[in-house]
Amino acid sequence: MVTLLPRLRGYLFTVIGIAVGVAGLVALGAMSERIVRFIEGGDRFVLGQISVAGRGMGMGTGFTAGGLLPAATLRAVAGVPGVDGVQAQVMLPLNPTTSQFMTLTQELVLGMDLSVPSPNRHYRTLPIRSGRFLRDGDRRVAVVGASFAASHGVDAGSRLALEGQDYEVVGVLERMLTAPDRFVIVPIADAREQWVAKDPMLRTLLASGGVALTASDLNTGAAVGWRNDEDPDAVALRIRERVPGVNVQIPSELSRLLRSSTAFFAALTMGISALGLVIGGLSLANTVAAAVFERIRDFGVKRALGATDLQLGREVLGEALGVTLSGGIAGIVIALGLGLGIDAWASRSGQQLFFFSARLLAGALGFSLLLGAASATYATLRVVRLSPAEAIRRGG
Amino acid sequence: MLRAEGIVKTYRGPSAPIPVLAGVDFSVEAGEFTVIAGPSGSGKSTLLNVLGLLEDADGGTVWFRDVAVTALSRSDKGRHRGRFVGFVFQAFLLLPSLTALDNVLLAGRYVGAARAEGRRRASALLEQFGMGERGAHYPRELSGGEQQRVAFCRAIFNDPPLILADEPTGNLDDDNGALILKALRARAQAGGTVVVVTHRTDVMAGADAVYALENGRLRRW
Repeated sequence: MVTLLPRLRGYLFTVIGIAVGVAGLVALGAMSERIVRFIEGGDRFVLGQISVAGRGMGMGTGFTAGGLLPAATLRAVAGVPGVDGVQAQVMLPLNPTTSQFMTLTQELVLGMDLSVPSPNRHYRTLPIRSGRFLRDGDRRVAVVGASFAASHGVDAGSRLALEGQDYEVVGVLERMLTAPDRFVIVPIADAREQWVAKDPMLRTLLASGGVALTASDLNTGAAVGWRNDEDPDAVALRIRERVPGVNVQIPSELSRLLRSSTAFFAALTMGISALGLVIGGLSLANTVAAAVFERIRDFGVKRALGATDLQLGREVLGEALGVTLSGGIAGIVIALGLGLGIDAWASRSGQQLFFFSARLLAGALGFSLLLGAASATYATLRVVRLSPAEAIRRGG
Repeated sequence: MLRAEGIVKTYRGPSAPIPVLAGVDFSVEAGEFTVIAGPSGSGKSTLLNVLGLLEDADGGTVWFRDVAVTALSRSDKGRHRGRFVGFVFQAFLLLPSLTALDNVLLAGRYVGAARAEGRRRASALLEQFGMGERGAHYPRELSGGEQQRVAFCRAIFNDPPLILADEPTGNLDDDNGALILKALRARAQAGGTVVVVTHRTDVMAGADAVYALENGRLRRW
């Protein structure tokens, strides 16, 4: 311990320098990961189901945007060969004002027909953080997304007012870093009531008795599954051909559209990652190389005492790896502290800016070690090229 | 024991090359205490560095026990220095991050000395030079004289047959200077070969041979 402390003190500034570089790398990487999760989450969802809506315009929004989708049409969809499960849904904007529309932070109400299992292959159930998910037969209860819960200050057991009605929040979803984080999920019967309450034209239409609509006809869309041996795109095209009056989203086409519409974010992600690698990497490489060059006199002395290039290289590499590992871990801790602190502040408005995935942390540490080793090797090769006398002279 | 022939060394200067050694011939036998004198800048340290393989000459050959050591590979030169040469520098050149004991032990690290035995030997050497209580101290906690004693212990740790000392008393007061000189002479009397470069006349007293380096050439006094 007595001999270790001064040695650590000697490396303190090097460790701090590396920590700053790695912290920058990890923080920028975590922002990038956050965006990637958002894009991937949406992609994963749309590839897990065929989304069907009524043809034309309507109240529906999100992936069920379109006209009314009556019960008879849903039955027709269910009868198309290859279809395995049709879940009626109502998706509405929570707050149908223009300022809320068309934004990435729009909060949505999703009504689900709980008598049918979720046909989405990637989301058979949604992950619950606290409380429980909805059950068939529930009324006036809601499960909310993590961002919604944070920004509205609700948790399982809280009360929530939706269109003048009192709801009990029975569960909160785990943070998924994608759309459901801002969802309020309710039984479809409750969502239908909210739809009628929100839409004066629909109320007028129903009150006039001019159209023969029952409650089960009030759907903005449906999630459709496919049998195991079926190609989802082929099933979607079959529905489009065989069922008139529907908008069918082809999963792969929708995925492509989603990716092209998020191309800016993908580019931003790559930019952030590249920036992180360059800034963090340069800082780290410079710090490690400088630390080796600073000790040039010591290396000259060691070579005078008989150290061969290999012995010196091994020694420098071992120390560089130790210092880089310490700096890397310290940098990760700094980035985690900063990121979690900022996210705690941002969560008040339902946002999360960073996502510290295991692959990011392991990657950053591995990258740091590799770069540290490469910089130390480069600096050592430069140092051993000097004669011991020259190294001692240059080290002053 | 140690022989040099036709050693030539020229440094690059800002405008023109600076010749330092212009064909130096030199030899010293086991058990001899030899002094190379000369004014500052005459090339004494350069010659010592070439003799100890700390620096390559532009021409000439150094033999150690009839082996042309200047022709060795870089790694073999390192091994040669570790086994056969002990250096004492004017600026001590102790590693600041190591204790006195660890600085002495450092000399054993690159020649494969056994650690436990090395610690015993390093402690005994420090004890012998009155530094027994200072083994756990860092160089910054030691006086110049104490640092040079530690450096001397490091130089003789591997019991090398050749000691090369560059102005070993240059930064020391008279008492500490005398102590280091006495130790160097004792080393020669015990059969070792000691070459000291200095510009101080008191170091020359009692030397087996004294050379003067002038205009790049060595002349015996």
